[in-house]
Amino acid sequence: MGIFMAFQHFRAGNRLGWSNCHAIICSRLPAPMHVEFYGVPRQRAGIAELDVNAETLGQLLGTLAERIPTLRELIEGEGLNSAFVANLNGDRFLSDPETALAQDDCVLILSADAGG
Amino acid sequence: MAFGYHGCYLRIDASNGSAKRVPLSEDVLRQYVGGSGLGVHLLLEEGAAAVDALAPEAPLIFAFSPLVGSPLTTSAKFAVVSKSPLTERVNDSLASSGFAIAGKGCGCDAVVIVGKAPQLSVIVIEDGEVHLESAEEYRGLSCRETEAALRARLGNYRVASIGPAGEKLVRYATISHDGRHAGRGGSGAVLGAKNIKAIAVRGSRRTEWAHPRELTALSRSLSQRSFGPATAKYRELGTAANLLVFNRFGALPTRNFQSGTFEQAIDISPEQLAVTREKTRKSCMACTIGCEHIYSNGKSGVRMEYESLFALGSLCGVGDSDAVLRAAQRCDELGLDTISAGGTIAFAMECVERRWLENANWLKFGDGNALLRAIEMIGARQGLGDLLAEGSRRAAQAIGHNSIAIAPQVKGLEIPGYEPRALQTMALGFAVGARGADHNRSGAYEVDFSEKVDRRNVTLDAVEHAIATEDRAALMDSMILCKFLRGVFEDFFGEAAQMLHHVTGWDATAEELRETARRIVRAKREFNLLAGWTPSEDALPERFLNTPLPNDPEAALSRERLDALVAEYHRQRGW
Repeated sequence: MGIFMAFQHFRAGNRLGWSNCHAIICSRLPAPMHVEFYGVPRQRAGIAELDVNAETLGQLLGTLAERIPTLRELIEGEGLNSAFVANLNGDRFLSDPETALAQDDCVLILSADAGG
Repeated sequence: MAFGYHGCYLRIDASNGSAKRVPLSEDVLRQYVGGSGLGVHLLLEEGAAAVDALAPEAPLIFAFSPLVGSPLTTSAKFAVVSKSPLTERVNDSLASSGFAIAGKGCGCDAVVIVGKAPQLSVIVIEDGEVHLESAEEYRGLSCRETEAALRARLGNYRVASIGPAGEKLVRYATISHDGRHAGRGGSGAVLGAKNIKAIAVRGSRRTEWAHPRELTALSRSLSQRSFGPATAKYRELGTAANLLVFNRFGALPTRNFQSGTFEQAIDISPEQLAVTREKTRKSCMACTIGCEHIYSNGKSGVRMEYESLFALGSLCGVGDSDAVLRAAQRCDELGLDTISAGGTIAFAMECVERRWLENANWLKFGDGNALLRAIEMIGARQGLGDLLAEGSRRAAQAIGHNSIAIAPQVKGLEIPGYEPRALQTMALGFAVGARGADHNRSGAYEVDFSEKVDRRNVTLDAVEHAIATEDRAALMDSMILCKFLRGVFEDFFGEAAQMLHHVTGWDATAEELRETARRIVRAKREFNLLAGWTPSEDALPERFLNTPLPNDPEAALSRERLDALVAEYHRQRGW
């Protein structure tokens, strides 16, 4: 839908910059949520962060395992191995794969032993 | 006598080098196990609570454990227990490696040192025979230099020593062995006050195990699990991996706890250090984890832990990794606890900023050279260093201006790298800690990093979880096992009972060991009561109770909430 609207603008002769096109496209697609990796998960992922589309924690982890196979050792079933934890927006920790995620959420994945 | 023990301790009078063996009953050993527990029991027996920590008659105890010498991974550890010259309360610090095995090989379960040698000396113990030798030629040498020199002179001994800071009675001086430190609370000053530069041990007396085959099988299983994901953080990045995590959670103490985030955190993170420097890994003796990450710093390597990174980095506002590594290295060489050194210097930096501390305008947040200069002055007790060598609480008392409100300490012990307002179960753990603000005797931060609590708004429900981590730590520190193993146990107390059964022959149960842990926590409290503890000590400095974190207004801890948590803690402890 977003791409179509951008095309309609183009056909109507509206001169849209890339950022406007991007904004229109993104406003019509589910906005991805942000994922940040820390410590061992970052080592395994090889990146510090990325954007993913998912509606639940379980979906998010499934997508991560698919996109970054080296993360699979962190994941057991639909959840995380007990040595790792997920946190939502720096506020609360999550383990239930059914936990609903919202579009602007930021999920942090880190080692369970947070201390020294 | 149970297997795994010698059934006695060695009591040495440093004033003349005399020594005697004192029997330990099996009943006492079963009640206190070893390590911290046994050390605190002996401290109480010696009447140490009423004695000044730096007096000649004050005892300093090296306590081993039934597991030392066994094939159980991480079991080569010893506890150093005394009254702390920093807090004037109980102090137990742990360190690892060959000293534990050689010390127990001298045929004793603990070494108690009293008295004061007439000159700087080394206590030499071989298979239980004790004598003093002069150590005057080692005066001013670093811990590592002393260890190397004594091994060259004596042969294949294991050496625990103090650096120049211990000789100068810096109140947070360490005792070092094999590059590790019994770091907190100033046990190095206690040894320095006895004119003892080092203790060299060599021994071949082994203890038998009750069930060697079962012990070997359990040891294999534990070692295997220690290679798994529960310890991956320690193997791959070390404790320094906490830095970016804590920064993200607004829990990284910065500029003397004025903030929970540090804008240069990435520059001193292990992820960045590993990109710019060569790194090697090392293990303590008998350890399968290998948590020590040593970063190249010019010609030499520097062991870097999270606590050193935070204390000498973000807490002092220093984002120059060269300066932080050099500062950690100098603390190791001088024999200084990095947490107390960094905490006291950061406190002084803020006092300078507030114009409460005169003639020290050079001591500024973010200045790596100033940090290094301050460390040198503390190690030598020169100029301002003489004041800072006393720790932040005593320095605040001298500075005035109600600076005690911003001195980062509890009971005089500087706070480790966990911002209490952002991690409020840990705030409780700090407040009630027997040896002061401490992350090794209470693992309450684990509760904050879980689904059990809202870390910035904890309720009384958090208290039982905090107590559980304190009890587990008390037993681990007495068995003694490394806490980095904690993630591999599904039922720690159950497995601990198995370990003790296989080593000692006791039919210990998980429930018995839970009671043992509580007994050890009570013994520490008993010592503190005898030393003059009052309820007002179970608190945090005003800064944490008056001001939310500036970058995270939700991270606010009121005095009423902390008081309620502490009261509930005392109630659940039955105190």
